[in-house]
Amino acid sequence: MPKWFFPAAVLWAVMFAATPVVIAYAPFEKDMGLVFKIFFYHMPSAWMFLLGGILCGVASLRYLISNEARHDRTALAAAELTVLFGLLTLVTGPLWARKSWGTWWVWDVRVTASLVSWMIAVSYLILRRYGGPGAEKLAAGLALFGMANVPFIYISVNYWRTIHPMTSVVPKLPVSMGMPLWFCVATFLLTFTLLFKMRVRLEEQRTRLDAIYLSLDT
Amino acid sequence: MIATISRYIAVFVLAVSCSGPLLVSVAAAQTQPAPKDEYVPVSQLPPQEQFPAARLVISAYSFVIVVLFLYVVTVARRLTAVQREVERLEADVKRTSRA
Repeated sequence: MPKWFFPAAVLWAVMFAATPVVIAYAPFEKDMGLVFKIFFYHMPSAWMFLLGGILCGVASLRYLISNEARHDRTALAAAELTVLFGLLTLVTGPLWARKSWGTWWVWDVRVTASLVSWMIAVSYLILRRYGGPGAEKLAAGLALFGMANVPFIYISVNYWRTIHPMTSVVPKLPVSMGMPLWFCVATFLLTFTLLFKMRVRLEEQRTRLDAIYLSLDT
Repeated sequence: MIATISRYIAVFVLAVSCSGPLLVSVAAAQTQPAPKDEYVPVSQLPPQEQFPAARLVISAYSFVIVVLFLYVVTVARRLTAVQREVERLEADVKRTSRA
């Protein structure tokens, strides 16, 4: 692991432990009340989910162009994090919606597109696990569709009639709500970075292991 | 004449009673809340808001913490296992090349 990893992990632990305290100081929202506090974990999770989708798509594109294995390892690590943060988003969202919308789930454009994107990431991992030889290229093609869906997820609420809050809520947040949100975003970004580094390291070690086995066979 | 009027009244009542649920559902659809374009803070939370929301908030936070913790554990375990195997094989290769 690089030198910065362990200090960053300590910083992450302190920040993550501080998030409930920071969120507790944020005011309640006028219409949603207490349940609004889910927003401070839901939205950073959703952003990391989208970041994972973009990272996986870009790395897959670079792999398809250059055929370099390191891009494939990056894409695989990013796909796993897309599934992880997508799961957090798709579970915390309905828990919030149950109180604020009165239902666990709506087939709203953003919610449905997010589910589709998450399923593409799951398909990517299934393909990598059980696809056999050549599955890397097929999975890379699939990741491009996942990446193409990301801007659609983000802007969909501004163009379709939906009950999902619009993208304007974040820039319009008052400081008392904005500061805890950006603190949580920074914490989740650090979480993503550390997990990503660990996951890439795992793939590097697996590649090294394969190379050793190959050298033993020859 | 009276029979005809009463027949019209019966048809009217039947039509209203059949279309009632449809009209109610259309009215309900028309009163769907508009999407939010900003969040407004309040300092006091109404007491009736607190309990049901608290369960949902605690569930959401617990889920995030538990899932992240489990993921870190699985990645750390996989990484440790692979690193141990790499070290073991490299030691074997060195031993074989010396012999």
